[in-house]
Amino acid sequence: MAELTLDDVTKVFTEDDGNEITAVDEVSIDIEDGEFLVLVGPSGCGKSTTLRMIAGLETITTGEIRLAGGRINEKPPAGRDIAMVFQSYALYPHMTVRENMSFGLEESTEMSDDEIESTVADTADLMEIEELLDRKPSDLSGGQQQRVALGRAIVRAPEAFLMDEPLSNLDAKLRATMRTELQRIQDNLDVTTVYVTHDQTEAMTMGDRIAILNDGVLQQVGTPLECYHTPNNRFVAGFIGDPSMNFFEMAVDGETLVIDRFEYPLKPAQQDAIRNRSNVVFGIRPEDIRIKEPGGLSDNYQFEVTVDVVEPRGDENTIHLTFDRSVDDPVTFTATVSGLRDISAGDEVTATFPPDSIHLFDTDSGVAVHNRTFNAENATKQIL
Amino acid sequence: MSTETGRAGERTLFGHSLRRLILYLVLLGMGAFYLIPIETGLMTSIISPGTYSGNLPYLPPLEPLVSGTGAFSLEPWRGALDGLGQGLVNSVILVVPATILSGLLGSMAAFGLTTISWRGQIGIYILFVAGIFIPYQAVLVPLTQFWYNIVPLRSMFEPLAALPLVETYHWKLLALIITHTAYGLPICTLLFRAHYKKLSDEMVEAAQLDGASIATIYRRIILPLSIPMFAVVFIYQFTQIWNDLLFALTIVQFGDAAVVTQELVGIGVSQSGTNFPLRMAAALLAALPTLLVYIFFGDKFAKGVAA
Repeated sequence: MAELTLDDVTKVFTEDDGNEITAVDEVSIDIEDGEFLVLVGPSGCGKSTTLRMIAGLETITTGEIRLAGGRINEKPPAGRDIAMVFQSYALYPHMTVRENMSFGLEESTEMSDDEIESTVADTADLMEIEELLDRKPSDLSGGQQQRVALGRAIVRAPEAFLMDEPLSNLDAKLRATMRTELQRIQDNLDVTTVYVTHDQTEAMTMGDRIAILNDGVLQQVGTPLECYHTPNNRFVAGFIGDPSMNFFEMAVDGETLVIDRFEYPLKPAQQDAIRNRSNVVFGIRPEDIRIKEPGGLSDNYQFEVTVDVVEPRGDENTIHLTFDRSVDDPVTFTATVSGLRDISAGDEVTATFPPDSIHLFDTDSGVAVHNRTFNAENATKQIL
Repeated sequence: MSTETGRAGERTLFGHSLRRLILYLVLLGMGAFYLIPIETGLMTSIISPGTYSGNLPYLPPLEPLVSGTGAFSLEPWRGALDGLGQGLVNSVILVVPATILSGLLGSMAAFGLTTISWRGQIGIYILFVAGIFIPYQAVLVPLTQFWYNIVPLRSMFEPLAALPLVETYHWKLLALIITHTAYGLPICTLLFRAHYKKLSDEMVEAAQLDGASIATIYRRIILPLSIPMFAVVFIYQFTQIWNDLLFALTIVQFGDAAVVTQELVGIGVSQSGTNFPLRMAAALLAALPTLLVYIFFGDKFAKGVAA
């Protein structure tokens, strides 16, 4: 167990025709001892490359990776004391589960056969795979293979775990179960873990902290709630959260924001944040939008809108709303409401955009200039 | 004959459709076409040479019951075993090490060229591929020069001849082993490479992270997973080397080190005529080892080809 530090880590691939592609661009993250960090981003964002550099499967172009304070750039994968769980599980198909789990101990430690035997048995017990020990991977289900792959990583008691989308080959139900189980195991073992995924739900639910990557550039590192409520930029705001945040590109007109279909008055602090700008991107999360019966607009934050499509999910409904259904390119946005509310397509409703729930982003750079009111300590206290 | 009209004019005969009956007849004909030469050879090989007339060679030797078919005798097989004995032993001494070596080295080369990545490996691989296309005829003269004039293998081998069971002439077989190994290496490498490309990279990476060295990854991961491909390569190389005559004529030329194909050429031929029963028995005897290899490794071969 140790802290893992990425210091300006960069990876440049040179293609055959001499073109240079920067896959990872000066990424710096401090991962504390025992922390569960989730590296998340769309495919091709460099998250897997980052993980492979930590594992030693990919060379580091510039920058430094330190494990427990010591530089590991030049160490071969075998010398890093890191275990990795692969998306394909990468079990050795010709070996039994027991042999799969013993292999690393036989190759990397001086343990006696008896010690190896008992260590494997203990880990198998922890992972609840004792009855599978004498089977070959081809005789196991996907979920069982997944457990064995995890067991193989755990059995070596490494300084750090790396996981490359380990749950993406499981069906949705099993994935949810394994998510919880993985967290429980990581919590018990208290081993520094870097977990790569493209699934923002996994990132939100599993990570102590999440690091969001896009195009090889680190966008934000923070707790799931920080990244959710105070995104650094429009990319993070749109990537984290499902359904995604609503964005409107609006013009600044004095104290209000204007778009063809609606006007939105700003509070003084918000006006300060966008001073000297003529355009701004307005963002609001679907669950922050309040929907009520039509009629009687009581303030300037309310708008009359029409329900376009309703996606029922059971616990809540995602509804697609539009300011004006009759035009060719209606401005649409989504809101979530309780699953028990009776709303159907074509209904006229009133939508409220509460002023303390809005985000404002720079139109060109996407940088957040104003985030919703969010106090991390208060939020945690309320939960507790 | 019970002829009834089935569906859509399909006639049936004893419960079988006419179409099926024709299929069976064609299959039977094809089976006979393939098997008659072998059957004829086998029957000829058990005819006493003195009574062999050349008539009806495909009939079993039933004289004196059926005249003209010859009398039964195992004498041709005894003669073949006597005549080919030395050649069979030499061929086994040649084929077993050459097959194992070319398979093993091919697998190692393919591992180094496929699973491990390093600069310039494609260039080296292209040399291997080019090796497949070097015609045998082009290397015959250089091979003779190489083994007789350039490499003093004969004198280097002299001390080994003092060992029990080793004879001086075995140096020629050693030269032949090395030649066949080298010549078989490209195609073996190609076959193994195709197999290794399909193995998961992540599995090899997992082994690296587990602390295994390159040699260990080969020995404990890659080699056990190559067994089906070894069956393919072994059968292929065994047949190739066992049946080879050209390299044997070039390198062994004549003498005690002659392999079975060389001895087969001259057996049963004399000024008094051709001893067909002896030639047939010898041909079958010489082909027997390849046949056995197919029988014993056929299922693994099929698995490897399908892999």
